[in-house]
Amino acid sequence: MTLKDLRDDIDRIDAKLLALIDQRMEKALLARAFKADVADAPREAAVLERITRSSRCLSGPAFTGELWKRIMAEARSIQEKKPKTVGFQGEHGANSEVALRAWDASAAAMPCVEFSDVFDAVRDGLFDYGIVPVENTLGGIVGPVNSILINTDLKIVAAIDSPISHCLLAVPGVDHREIRSAYSHSQALAQCRSFLARNKLEARPYYDTAGAARMIAEERRRDTAAIANRFAAEIYDLEIIKDDIQDAANNRTRFLVIAKESASQAGNKCSAVFSTNDKAGALFGILEIFAREGINLTRIESVPDKPGDYAIFIDFDGSDADPAVAKAIAEAKAAAHGFRLLGCYEERRL
Amino acid sequence: MNNLKLTGRRPGDSMRVIDIGGVRVGEEFVVIAGPCSVETEDQTIRTAVAVKEAGAKMLRGGAFKPRTSPYAFQGLGLKGLKILDKAKRETGLPIVTEVVDTRDVSWVGEYADVLQIGARNMQNFSLLREAGKSGKPILLKRGMYSTLEEWLNCAEYILAEGNDKVIVCERGVRTFETFTRNTLDLSMIPAVHAESRLPIMIDPSHGTGIKYMIEPMSLAAIAAGADGLEIEVHVDPPSALSDKDQQLTPDEFKAMMKRLQALLDFMGANAANEAESARKGDALPAGSPAGTRAVGPQGPRDPFADAMD
Repeated sequence: MTLKDLRDDIDRIDAKLLALIDQRMEKALLARAFKADVADAPREAAVLERITRSSRCLSGPAFTGELWKRIMAEARSIQEKKPKTVGFQGEHGANSEVALRAWDASAAAMPCVEFSDVFDAVRDGLFDYGIVPVENTLGGIVGPVNSILINTDLKIVAAIDSPISHCLLAVPGVDHREIRSAYSHSQALAQCRSFLARNKLEARPYYDTAGAARMIAEERRRDTAAIANRFAAEIYDLEIIKDDIQDAANNRTRFLVIAKESASQAGNKCSAVFSTNDKAGALFGILEIFAREGINLTRIESVPDKPGDYAIFIDFDGSDADPAVAKAIAEAKAAAHGFRLLGCYEERRL
Repeated sequence: MNNLKLTGRRPGDSMRVIDIGGVRVGEEFVVIAGPCSVETEDQTIRTAVAVKEAGAKMLRGGAFKPRTSPYAFQGLGLKGLKILDKAKRETGLPIVTEVVDTRDVSWVGEYADVLQIGARNMQNFSLLREAGKSGKPILLKRGMYSTLEEWLNCAEYILAEGNDKVIVCERGVRTFETFTRNTLDLSMIPAVHAESRLPIMIDPSHGTGIKYMIEPMSLAAIAAGADGLEIEVHVDPPSALSDKDQQLTPDEFKAMMKRLQALLDFMGANAANEAESARKGDALPAGSPAGTRAVGPQGPRDPFADAMD
């Protein structure tokens, strides 16, 4: 054991501490919705009593008491500011979080394990919004998200079309020549296949791109790297060995922001979902309504729903405040099965 | 030189043209310029902008420096590559940088457009093989104690790996003369053109090590038919971390480039005239390329015919 080993251990622990403090603040922010007031003296006293009682030898109760008072003061101040909460699937540093920051830099990003957790938490009012990827130029539609969209009562209130840039990330100070493997989501690994082959790096699938970055940072791995975005490099303090390592240009993902209520302002894009009778020309009849009104369809996707039945998603340019759009929507509602407007919203291309 | 299966030039063979991000080496005259070492982002980008303005078509800069002393500045490594990448994004100039370690070849290749193999590594055969496998254009410098045959055989190592994008570069050899840093061997220009299909560039900065000789040697290289030059330029040579005595300032480089261009224009006009006469029926020496850079090889010849001179 050398000084360097010990300091590496300390760095590892610090990285975990930071992530845990952040997680604690997120929980505190969510707790605000359940409380009448920000201040809750009995709860704070109980927390302090437990912390000081269980303080270990090296860090005595005087120190931990002070530290926790400071932590709870910060939690109160976050509760008072009450930034809007937005759920996303993945770890901090995920591409969804990057898109979210472009939509609203002041929002608090709330990590979720599954896409369904994002939808459920928004439905239950735990989060104000959710942000989910709906399709990628190289990977196609994001199946689980589209399946949930068929039946959800939530509304689409914004969309962000964002470029996806993969970077090779390593612990600062690592000799890039010692890197033997790269961890990332299997889709990101596939998108960087020739880069990995050129540099003789073994691809190691991991559940999430940002999760891989976090793992490398927390474990201070010196022989391995992660593939994730620039933002993940920033928050996990990793060095970008090489940016833009994806093999194909034009890697973009379209993200949807979902909420309980429809967007308050008129947008430039509408989304709807419907199904049709199982007969010749049924789909054509509905699409024809939009063609007649001169409305440009920007996306048509069919997703298997019940056996033998398909849910058809369409996106089109325009706002429901526009009479031609409103007329087309009304006609389509009458002609299709279960035609549901998912939202009229502002779409931004980054 | 019978073993040069891929590098050697046989009757009727044309010169190889190597496309590097739109710069066509072997077809147009190419000046590679930039600092000896990448020292800071500011120094590199300012130099890059200045040399581009003066007419350089590629940017050089060392991130991995092979130095005589282990205690001398060894280069910024990966950080240097990132700075070069930034300079490229800023100016659009393709990047030429040296690789000294087989383990670095693929990584340097991620950032650079041309991998330079330095004089001291000319016969590092595993490095040559690795450079060959990378498929990247290679600028192969002549070793300071190497014969033409040894040099071209090193190019053959790269070509044998399936990489035909090789440019050779004469940078002076060791002789009994100590006044200059090396003795710049301009006779290699017609020799390389006669014996191989590879473009040849001249590095008068290392070839002489003396600032005032860079321009006259560059003019001579152009007159002898070189395909390009590699020149060291630094925004502030006295503060350079390496080769401070042989780096030009951007102003000096700009002034020199003007005079080089005058000679290139003259030779281009001359070549056009020759081509015109040839079209009218006058004989043109075999193998002479017609076009803007005219003075080329006088056709294949037996390299050992005058060995007893």
